[in-house]
Amino acid sequence: MFEQFTDVVPSFFGWLNQGPLTLTIFLHTVIILPMIFIYFQEKKRLENEK
Amino acid sequence: MANNHLTSESKQLATWYLTFAAILFGAQLLFGLIAAIQYVMPGFLYGILDFSIARILHINALVVWMVFAMFGSVYWLLPDETGIETIGIKAGKLVYWIFVAAIVVVVLVFLLIQVGPASDTTIWFITEGREYIEAPRWADFGIVVVALTFVGNLFLTGMKGKQTGIVTVLMADMIAFAGLYLAGMFFTDNISVDQYWWWWVIHLWVEATWEVFVGAIAAYGLITMIGAHRKVVEMWLWIEVAMLFGSGILGMGHHYFWIGTPEYWWEIGALFSALEPLPLVAMFVHVLYDWGKTQGAEMNSEHTDEGHVKSVIKNKPAFTWFVLNAFGNFLGAGVWGFFHTLPQINLYTHGTQFTSAHGHLAFFGAYATILVGMMYLAVQGKNGIKVMKNTKASIWAVSMITGGVMGMTVALTIAGYVQVIVSRAQMGATWAAYFDGQGGAWFTQAMDWRLIMGVITFLGFVLLAKDLLTTGKNPVHER
Amino acid sequence: MANKSVWNDNRFWRRSATWVTGFASILLIWLTFDTSAQISMGTNEDLQNGVTKRVPGPTVINYKITYEMSAKRGHEVPVIGGNDGKGNSLFQEKEKFFGRDDWSEKEAREMLHLGKLGSQAKNCMDCHTLLGNGAYYAPDLTKAWLDPAWGPNGTMQAITNKPTKEEAMAEFLQHPELYATHARMMPNLGITKEEAIGLVAFLKHMSSIDTNGFPRNFGKMKGAINGK
Repeated sequence: MFEQFTDVVPSFFGWLNQGPLTLTIFLHTVIILPMIFIYFQEKKRLENEK
Repeated sequence: MANNHLTSESKQLATWYLTFAAILFGAQLLFGLIAAIQYVMPGFLYGILDFSIARILHINALVVWMVFAMFGSVYWLLPDETGIETIGIKAGKLVYWIFVAAIVVVVLVFLLIQVGPASDTTIWFITEGREYIEAPRWADFGIVVVALTFVGNLFLTGMKGKQTGIVTVLMADMIAFAGLYLAGMFFTDNISVDQYWWWWVIHLWVEATWEVFVGAIAAYGLITMIGAHRKVVEMWLWIEVAMLFGSGILGMGHHYFWIGTPEYWWEIGALFSALEPLPLVAMFVHVLYDWGKTQGAEMNSEHTDEGHVKSVIKNKPAFTWFVLNAFGNFLGAGVWGFFHTLPQINLYTHGTQFTSAHGHLAFFGAYATILVGMMYLAVQGKNGIKVMKNTKASIWAVSMITGGVMGMTVALTIAGYVQVIVSRAQMGATWAAYFDGQGGAWFTQAMDWRLIMGVITFLGFVLLAKDLLTTGKNPVHER
Repeated sequence: MANKSVWNDNRFWRRSATWVTGFASILLIWLTFDTSAQISMGTNEDLQNGVTKRVPGPTVINYKITYEMSAKRGHEVPVIGGNDGKGNSLFQEKEKFFGRDDWSEKEAREMLHLGKLGSQAKNCMDCHTLLGNGAYYAPDLTKAWLDPAWGPNGTMQAITNKPTKEEAMAEFLQHPELYATHARMMPNLGITKEEAIGLVAFLKHMSSIDTNGFPRNFGKMKGAINGK
């Protein structure tokens, strides 16, 4: 499952790089996911305002 | 000056900044022409004004005129947005003259001294020799002082006056813009570290903070020119900020593929920068949508008969440039950027005329257009014009400049294609491979066309300058 | 009111923009720490102990440098002091640089420093590309040290009438107008002999930087001129 580490120096980000797009999809996810939390918070606020 | 309709000191100062920006724009095109001639006739000005010097002046004039026009644009919109006169206008005027004087000195040194011995003195007083930010170290400090004064004015005014969404975005954006310059102000023997931080200035300027700036200016333009609804415009602005910074900050990875930095940047750079065009599409859609909406509302209002339907645009030439910005940003920065942003492709296109093609269309489409639009807005305000019409000169200017830049871009793309195929893929990037590619018929013809298109661009600029200068006396505009 | 959706609520987008910008910046700073550690310049000790660095120490100029395929990395890498057969550096085979292969760390660092300063003082980057960045008026210098044109079978040693690659390069840099090979000539930039030696050290050092396989197939294509 895990690919052999190819870069010169092992590192956390290099380790996340486990094949096609794993690292970048992980980073995109951690950036986008908290927006769901913000969404529900704002939804609640708008409902309360009503 | 006679017939000056400006009551705001801030707007007055804005016209100074925009005027000097226009002069530097002309200088940029002139030195670009010299460099373009040198590709066609290598002996041209050899030993007098070599390509390296022409190019330094070409790209530094570009950066500096845009910074000037950006400062000018902010001084222009601040009183409108905040509802108060800009605070610290005296300091603003003082640093304007410091900035202008510093630029004149730097340009004269570039022109007359050009290079120096390999010593710190050269770095401090002649050239720093790092593309786009060649200005010597003393000038760096000058730029920091100027930028801090500007940011200070913006913050003091923004905090005291009405703080709209546009002003909030500008405040956050401009402090990042000024702060990032510090990343380019040191010397290191390690070229990988050097280029790592160099990109912090270049990339985080043009692919993050400048883009957000454009978003804010476009929002201001839509509100002033077609009376778009502020709440809608500012919502779009926040979406653009999220998308621009979300993709642009880590999109920096696409400059870290080959400079000695770890392999994980391939992935980070590839996907984040691949998403960079998205907000540019959003901007384009948003501009056209708002235009259509306000125009549609006008058409549905009381004047139902065709003859009475008026255009909602209060400044036709400026709006033309703003719409061109929406399109040019997407095409130049978005499409031409995406062409070579994936590492598999960039391995062969990195450091070829491909980059140059992208640079020409992106800087023009994303920044030059909207800043010229701001020049038109300033001319309108200065001359007290209610509705500004297109003139023959304004239409010819925008057509020739756009056509010229587009032509240069296509020519450079073809030249880049030759380089990629011949010099890189086929022959393996050596000295001999390089010159073999440069000698190919497709390449040399592309360079001829680039020069022709450059001349057209320059003629367009002359018309633009004429149009801007004669607006005050032109009777076609409604006052 | 229909306007009560979160999707057209300015506050939602403002908070999202703030979060995305802030978090992306934090990630970038974190990545910068990680990368900075990896691209810091190595030392003479690293070279002696066989430690592969992305940016080797300045004394790498004492070693033979080649650019060869690495099975593990899947692309070409700089190989320092001999190849173990799989594209890993052995750090053994030395190569004389201006007659010596025992430049001390201090001497090598001084040469590199002068060369890097010179590369900026002469605006190299406004005609050439370094690591692929710069202007496109002249060839890329990333692996210039390894260019066959300067090697024993290349033309440049003969044109400059110098017995070694480094001397030929130094001679060219001092009088580029005398040894022009193309109509697009490099101008005389007033480079002194000392500066030229520094610049050659800078170029040799740059060729030892691990650029993740850029440029591809450097100097490997032979007999394929004009597609023949």
